[in-house]
Amino acid sequence: MTAGRSLLALPMVLLLLGGAILPLAILVVISFWSVDFDAFELVPGFGLASWREVLGNPTYPYLIGKAVLTGSVTAGLTALAGYPIALSLLRVPQRWKSVALVVLMTPLYTGEIVRIYAWRLVLGTDGLVNGVLLGLHLVQVPVKVILFSPVSTILALVYDELPFMTLALWIALERLDLRLVEAARDLGARPLTAFVRVTLPMTSTGLCAGALAVFALSAGDLQTPNFLGGPTGATALASIDNFFGTAFDWPTASALALSLLFALGIVAAVASLLILRIGGGAVRTRP
Amino acid sequence: MSVLFTRRQTLAGIVGGVSAGLLSVERARAAVAELVWATWDSNAHPEYVEPFRKETGTAIKLSFLSSEDAQFAALKTGSAKDWDVVNPGLNGAWRYIDGKVLRPLDLARIPNRQYLYAPFKDTPKVVGKDGATYAVPYLWGLNPIVYRKDIYKDEPTYATLFDAKYKGQLAMRDYALESIGVAGLYIGIPRDQVFTMDDSQLAEAKKALIAQKPLLRTYWQTIGDLTNLFATNEVTCAFSWRVPYDALKGKMAMGMAKPKAGIFGWCDTFAIPTSTPDDKVAAAHAFGNYLLGPDYAMAIAEIGNYATASSVIRDKLSHDKQEAIFVDDMSVMNSFMWPVAPPNYSAWLKVWNEVKAA
Repeated sequence: MTAGRSLLALPMVLLLLGGAILPLAILVVISFWSVDFDAFELVPGFGLASWREVLGNPTYPYLIGKAVLTGSVTAGLTALAGYPIALSLLRVPQRWKSVALVVLMTPLYTGEIVRIYAWRLVLGTDGLVNGVLLGLHLVQVPVKVILFSPVSTILALVYDELPFMTLALWIALERLDLRLVEAARDLGARPLTAFVRVTLPMTSTGLCAGALAVFALSAGDLQTPNFLGGPTGATALASIDNFFGTAFDWPTASALALSLLFALGIVAAVASLLILRIGGGAVRTRP
Repeated sequence: MSVLFTRRQTLAGIVGGVSAGLLSVERARAAVAELVWATWDSNAHPEYVEPFRKETGTAIKLSFLSSEDAQFAALKTGSAKDWDVVNPGLNGAWRYIDGKVLRPLDLARIPNRQYLYAPFKDTPKVVGKDGATYAVPYLWGLNPIVYRKDIYKDEPTYATLFDAKYKGQLAMRDYALESIGVAGLYIGIPRDQVFTMDDSQLAEAKKALIAQKPLLRTYWQTIGDLTNLFATNEVTCAFSWRVPYDALKGKMAMGMAKPKAGIFGWCDTFAIPTSTPDDKVAAAHAFGNYLLGPDYAMAIAEIGNYATASSVIRDKLSHDKQEAIFVDDMSVMNSFMWPVAPPNYSAWLKVWNEVKAA
């Protein structure tokens, strides 16, 4: 690439520097400041009180771990659900693929809060699931554990993020030479073996892209756990919101936000390396 | 020395004054098409502000608040520059004044202030150290326990919200100030000391709240959220605002309890942020004056069952309506607790985070 072409990337580089790195740098600085709660002013300086609070109080490592777990479980479940959908989409006739894409993205056209209340209608005490269970006499009283629990939170997150995973897998599958899968089958591989030995490694980049997107979106979701998690809906994001917005304690909020970002970044990097290693030994098609 | 005016001079003065007034209204109409009012979603009925638009030509655009503290933080950090009129709570107004986020008000532009009930008119909580008035109380009420009368034979108290007999039917607000305050009353802290609890009292309140968690169906986020929870039979008793009671009383056997241990009172004020452009200040004052006038008071009494801080329509209401909005006996205000941000509020927030994560 010539130097002239490289300059084309300059605006985006500047945008990234201004839009991502600069705010993070400000958070780092503020995390060492303190607050004068009488005057409601941030006091510049260098102190470790906020970091001691975030790293020393077991509440915050727990909430960060919970965010990692939520992101990981959601990414895993969307991958499990996404592969069959993406494989089905692969077989859709070419002229219908644009329609399939529109249908796939349908959940994203509604706002998050609409989806949340829709889940309440489905999973609630007077909801659809309980209506069916009661109607079939499978239960005598409405089942309450499916709403306002980790189950409802994960279910809604999987539904919300599934399009991102499916789209990434679909694009990867479109580039797969299906003759390799047929060859594996012709040589006696069972469908599951052909998937694990051929399809999975050769679509690992798509899996990695989808998993990263789903992990980041679900680990950082605030409203779904708030409205569907019930008493179990506490998140690191809600605590950060409380510190920033309610307590005006920006240093503690900054330290917690940076800790969460660091933990999510480490886990995402390690997971990406592991996923891409699946594809390390895969047969490569010629371009 | 006496000054006498001829009839011609008087008429000329009246005509001149009226003309100037009309011109200034015309100018205001030309200058301010819209004011953004940061307020609670309970003010969401268009009928509340439509008379003001008709009278002045200035439309009121609502920007809903999630919490008192978020409002303060947004003003303090400059992230709410589009707000022209804000809604500080009476007891938290000092934070806004000390934080220098409000403009001093020109009380001459708010003549309806003369109708304020005495406790609101004389309150020093809206006056800064410089002697200027920065906010005017306009709406008040109480935060009761709302419950289903068909399920609770006796009127609930705060202990009901901690009673294992009602496991899975209870809800608390996801808000440190009120939920820790309720826990303080439950463990026996006198109502005048709840918002100044020391560390050991806070630790006891935290224990009670953690023990309460398995009994809760959820923590409610907005008052619309809680109304929905009652309507769908998810919750039968909650520390609440009165909105679910009013919204559902015709459809369900709703009750409203005012515990003797202490009733959380609230009072909203009207204020103008320092970030409001100069050319909107006159219209913002006119809107503040409107909030203390008869149109807003009548609409919010009839539709929302709320009382304004102004006595302007009190005598025109039926006794039932007066009772419904708590203005039949004004001594009720003496038994209220007025929530106030505690001096150690950050410690309260940390306790609340720990409760939620427990």
